[in-house]
This record gives sequence, C-alpha cells and structure tokens, in this order.
Amino acid sequence: MSDFAKEKAARLLKKRGSVSSLGSHDVKAKETAGKTKDSISTLSYIEEPGHHEDNPRPTVQMENTFQLAPYRRFPVLTVNDILKDVLSSYLQEEKYEAELCRQMTKTISEVIKARVKELMVPRYKIVVLISIGQLSDQNMRIGSRCLWDSSNDTFSSHSFKNSSLFALANVYAVYFE
Amino acid sequence: MNLHCKWILYTLTAFDADDVFGIIKESVEGTMGGNIFQQNRVDQWTSNVVELCLSQLSKLGKPFKYIVTCIIMQRNGAGLQTASSCFWDDTTDGSCTFKWENESMHCIVTVFGLAI
Repeated sequence: MSDFAKEKAARLLKKRGSVSSLGSHDVKAKETAGKTKDSISTLSYIEEPGHHEDNPRPTVQMENTFQLAPYRRFPVLTVNDILKDVLSSYLQEEKYEAELCRQMTKTISEVIKARVKELMVPRYKIVVLISIGQLSDQNMRIGSRCLWDSSNDTFSSHSFKNSSLFALANVYAVYFE
Repeated sequence: MNLHCKWILYTLTAFDADDVFGIIKESVEGTMGGNIFQQNRVDQWTSNVVELCLSQLSKLGKPFKYIVTCIIMQRNGAGLQTASSCFWDDTTDGSCTFKWENESMHCIVTVFGLAI
C-alpha cells in the first residue's frame, strides 16, 4: 500500500478515534478557514459521540438475503403527520432566540428520529435534518438532491411558520441493501 | 486481521470527508464566487451547486448513496439554526458540512453519504 494512502488512512483513523463532547452533537473539532478575495469558507466535521474505539470495527460481511426489494415500504404519509405534529407542538408559541432555538433544533431532531424509529421499518437508514430560522426581511432558498435508488428510497418534508420564526424538517429514508 | 489490512478495508469502505470537502468547495466557489445575492438567480444557484456536487461525487465511484442539501440565505442579520440526527452505521456512513459566505449571502452545503 502506498505511503500516501497509508498517511490518509492514519489521518482518518485519528479523526474518527477522537472523542467529542458528551450528550450533544456540537459541530467542533476541525475547522479549516480559507480566505479568498471576498469570501470566507469553513469546513466542519460533525463528530459523533459514537467513535470511542481506537481501532474501527472491521467491515462486517453480511450473508446474502436474496431479497431484491423491501418487504415493507417506508410510510411517507405517516412520517409527514409525525413531522407536522412535532413541529407544531414544540414551536407553536415560541419566539426566535438564538440559544433557545439552538437547543430546540437538537431536541426536535432527536425526537423525530426516535418517533420514526418506533415505526420499525426494517433495513431503512434515517437522516433527519431540521432548520429553524428567524423571520426578517431576508430571502432564502433551501434545496437538496439525492443520488439513490428511487424505487426504494424516499424522503418526507414539512415546513412550519409562526409570527417570528420558520422551521423546516426533512426526513430521508435510504434502504440498506 | 492485522492493522494494515484494517486500514485498507477502512479507507475503501468508509465515508471520506476529505475528498468530499474538495468537491463541495469547488462546486460552491465555481457557482457563486463573486456574485451578489439576486432573488431571481438563487433557484439556479442552488440547483447548480447541488448538481455539480452530485455529479462529482458519483464520479468517485464508491458504493455510496448521497444526500446533498444546500441552503442559500441573504445576509440580513437574521439567525438560522440547523441540526441533523441520523440513524445509520457509524463505521461506514458519515456527513460533511461546508459553510461559505461573502458580503451579501451565506451558503451551507451538507453531504450525507450512506453505504450500500
């Protein structure tokens, strides 16, 4: 194996092996800031508290299931209702405040993930994305594209607005073949 | 299995944030570098950024499914919070977030990679 590849692997292992703060998914660890003429860019890794081991688990070889498609599809409409429910119950009366909304985004994403997990749809991986923003005279566009198998994978989305803030919740469900 | 083999397996099968960072940076700076926020062009910019990212990511040829999200917001002093929570396999799946700004707007691009 070449030296370059070895160094890269060692760097990746080191990053994965580092432990972040307990309890919250704060964006921290590595921030590389680059300045070009009139713009600033930063990169952050999302360090999850799960990476505690010094050596990563070697990839598990799964046995063939001979299953071509999921037995049970992901229930998009049920998840839509869950999103509507959670967003309106948590945010109906709230005003936008930086600290409160920071905690709120984390809490809401955990709650939605837990409720979708309760549906127990087998072999589906879930990604929940929440954005809460202040309503002022700004313009904003949020878009996403996915490279996946459209016959099995799907997403669900809901947006909520009150007098001082707006919230967007996206749930992506990806089938694990 | 010795450590050497573990490294090989790990790099071949895990989500590599370094590669992805380079790809996102090029797409964002290529599409939006030097531009001012214009409402009628934002639509086109988000599509461009996301599609460029996706096509470069698929050229990597790794056995991954990708989700790319892009947020473009005008700089007006308003606040925005974003959080994500994922139910996946820690050893093989990962995400990478890239923030970019100039004097008139903010752009946040997140890439999630899930192993097949």
